[in-house]
Amino acid sequence: MQRLYGAWDEMIRKKLSDKNSLLSLGDRFRIYILFGVIFLFMSLFAPRFFNTYNLTTILRTVSMNVTIALGFTIVMICGEMDLSIGRTATFAAVIALTLQKHLGYGLSIPIAVLAGALVGLFNGVLVAKVKINSFIVTIGTMTILQGATYTITGGNSVSLSGDTVFAISDFLAKPILPMLPPRVILTILFVIMFHLFVSNSQWGRNFYMVGGNRTTAWLAGINTDRVTITAFVLSSTMAAVGGILFAMESSAATLNMGDNSLMYVVSATIIGGTAMSGGKGGILKSVIAVLSLEMLYTGTILFGFGNEVKIFISGLILALVVLYEAYASYKHEKTIGQRAELLDELAQMAARPKV
Amino acid sequence: MRKQVTFVLLAMVMLCIGGLLFAQGGKASGPSAGDPAANLEASLKVDSSVLKAADGQQLLRLSKELSKVPARPANPSALPESNPLHWYDMEYAGWNVKKSNIPVSPKDGAIGKRVVMIVHGDHPWTTACTNGAKKVADAYSIDLKILSPNWDLAVQNQMIDQSINERPDMILLIPLDATTAIQQARRINQSGIPFIFFNTLPTAEAMNYAITWTGPDDFGQMRKLAKVFADEMRARNPGAKELGIAYVQHAPGGSPYFARSYGPLSELAGYAPEVVTLDMQAPGFEADRTMQLVSDWLTRFGPRLKGIFAADDSAQALGIIEALKKAGRTDIVVVAAGNSKIGMDMVSDGSLFAITYQTAEGDGALAVQTAADWFNGTELPNRRDLPQHMITKSDVADFYPPQW
Repeated sequence: MQRLYGAWDEMIRKKLSDKNSLLSLGDRFRIYILFGVIFLFMSLFAPRFFNTYNLTTILRTVSMNVTIALGFTIVMICGEMDLSIGRTATFAAVIALTLQKHLGYGLSIPIAVLAGALVGLFNGVLVAKVKINSFIVTIGTMTILQGATYTITGGNSVSLSGDTVFAISDFLAKPILPMLPPRVILTILFVIMFHLFVSNSQWGRNFYMVGGNRTTAWLAGINTDRVTITAFVLSSTMAAVGGILFAMESSAATLNMGDNSLMYVVSATIIGGTAMSGGKGGILKSVIAVLSLEMLYTGTILFGFGNEVKIFISGLILALVVLYEAYASYKHEKTIGQRAELLDELAQMAARPKV
Repeated sequence: MRKQVTFVLLAMVMLCIGGLLFAQGGKASGPSAGDPAANLEASLKVDSSVLKAADGQQLLRLSKELSKVPARPANPSALPESNPLHWYDMEYAGWNVKKSNIPVSPKDGAIGKRVVMIVHGDHPWTTACTNGAKKVADAYSIDLKILSPNWDLAVQNQMIDQSINERPDMILLIPLDATTAIQQARRINQSGIPFIFFNTLPTAEAMNYAITWTGPDDFGQMRKLAKVFADEMRARNPGAKELGIAYVQHAPGGSPYFARSYGPLSELAGYAPEVVTLDMQAPGFEADRTMQLVSDWLTRFGPRLKGIFAADDSAQALGIIEALKKAGRTDIVVVAAGNSKIGMDMVSDGSLFAITYQTAEGDGALAVQTAADWFNGTELPNRRDLPQHMITKSDVADFYPPQW
């Protein structure tokens, strides 16, 4: 039995190490496969899933979390965690809408985005320079932002009304191309920009280097502190942008509007294949994971299931992915430093009859 | 890298082609009844007045006290918060509105209609509320679909969009937030689907886009509760020149937050001027946090604290009573909004002086009944309020078993 398991284990290892094998491709592109399976299943079976209105709704709904996930993925690639993204989104949205009454969107939006960036700078400096664990730092920031938001609003939601505000809101929400309202188009542009930045620039590669091995990155001449701070600034800035766009479309900001984004984005980023230990992951994979989760949620609603089923399914997927990651990491640790061809030779030698 | 980009492009192309080829969402309409006249006749014969709530009370009851709507002040927010008219736009939201693009009733009966009910979140109250809604829906053979966003605004917005996509005959909505309801209302209104707000009052502007609103007159209830509260404090502290009270508030943002603290505050300013507000805090709906808050008040205000007005008669009330027990303060009058089992048990044992009769089942039932009335062609008022009643030890037994 043990020999059988050993043979199976060995076959999996070989297939995974062969980059062109189906298993290896499936492993690397699993989020795209998941996306395709969910999309096909829902299109075939979920009532009223496959139509422009619903697909537009899905794209509009994911816009905020996709925008937030862009920066958050970079932080995770760097091997850090940013738990303040949801509160940053709320904080920036509240600032944008509160100031809009006095300054108009022209000034209120840049100020709110800047406020978001400053939150990231604060997080980044504490993590990179003061060497405090990012988990602790961002929990602290999360609480500070909650207090600040309540102080600014006096505990009330912020809402805007009037023809101009509603016109902007309608403009952001109504498609100008098939299925693509301006808010979705903006989100797609952000995705392209971030994907190119992370995949094709020296800065982008530095995130992977720092996340993969900070000491090696430092020895290679990378300013690891600056890279970490940049990651946090990008994360908070994009969280702020996501929150502001959502609030502009709703013409209102509630005090808990970003709360659920935290778990959503963290789950999607992990499901998308970004390693919590850092050094691995990708922008597109996170985006596709957010989209997949949203399709799953929409499908559960269209099937008539409650919110609890949606939470259960997303938890289940997350648990399976984490379990798989743990298994893959264990296998990787086990074979680290081993060369497959030498292991094969050893196995052949062992199999030869002794003279 | 190329493979990744190809995958993504393929996915996007699939989405686009799918959307374009099967673009029928948002255009189809719900199933129509076979013979509208016969359906209307059968629908009008349905007698929902015989339905009972779990507490044995009649399920569907309307407030007999029609609100006397005063003239709106030029600028209500310029008035002090202790002036009842400061809250005019919230308290009388829905009465003086200019309705916009409201669909006309098909007058073809409620039987067989598809109705989507979007609530605020999962809670025992919500379960009771939807139970009541189902009872009326069953009576009219209405296909009722219930959606819960679990207090997430983004999810509620998405559910609204998906409901529009499904083209039901009616949407019933509990707005998560009074102010964000404007855009939600506009969106449904623009889709042409008739809809009714229920339970939570949105701002006056949002009411322009809804057929009507049904639910408890929270401000009215709280004003009544405030009077009962003041009377009891006066009885326990005869001749007192100052009666210090504190408010345990509802979650900020929604209409109960304002109605359950500023409703009584502005009522007491006129009815019992000797009542002084010492503090107002919103500790959430956890008993331990409320207990901590009240313990702090007891230390801070000592014997000056004569009464506590709570926004919730379950977890918050539990925390309050626990803190008072620990401090040995039996002199403090506690009243709370709500009608839960916990609240009723505490009224029975005397630890809570009064709670409000807030039928959760009746709330959901009234929303569906109002939808049915609209399908039947009944002329609807701008608001339909649930009846008001204060439950004290003298009549709490009439409301057992509790609805939630």
